[in-house]
Amino acid sequence: MPDDDIAEQISPAAAEGALAYLTEMSPDLRGAAILARDGGVLAGSGDAERWRDDAAALFEIADRAGGEPVEQVHVGTEQGEVFALRHAGLAAIAVTERFALSSLTFFDLRSILRDLAAGGDGRAGEARPDAA
Amino acid sequence: MPPKPHRVLLDRVSGYADEAAAYMRRRRAARKPFARLYYAGGRAEDHATDSSAGGELFVAAGRLIEVAGKGS
Repeated sequence: MPDDDIAEQISPAAAEGALAYLTEMSPDLRGAAILARDGGVLAGSGDAERWRDDAAALFEIADRAGGEPVEQVHVGTEQGEVFALRHAGLAAIAVTERFALSSLTFFDLRSILRDLAAGGDGRAGEARPDAA
Repeated sequence: MPPKPHRVLLDRVSGYADEAAAYMRRRRAARKPFARLYYAGGRAEDHATDSSAGGELFVAAGRLIEVAGKGS
């Protein structure tokens, strides 16, 4: 199934669940958002419009800088760290405290996007209560 | 008299912990801001703070940090 079709099928409730799971898993997380391919915010902590505009700006700059669409962005500043990831027609942005482990953060972001794209609720790594 | 075995073990563990703490202190002090981009196929690029793209990336990241701050 093409990525566009997948991204269009994600319900905001599933995205909200995935975001809650991400927040639960990541003690260093300050805020995050999950975006559809068109840049619309499926779930976000706080101001959805700001997440949409500022994430679009970050991806646009990153794409232009390398001359091809970027897959992952990691910016570390004195004020905190920004992680952005595109996967399966979706995108996730996370802002963490300084010195968050980048490999784990990217792993968590990729994991929730992969699960959402597969029709799950982003909690692929969690034992499901209904699983016998 | 030789030290008791548990003393040796405790000293060794404390030594490792001290080394790790010192490493983390040095890392925090030495780490500078960075912008790193990863592309399909595993290509990665670093952009310095004083480069044109690097500067723009830091401004965009700063805005996102501000949004996250508002959200928490």
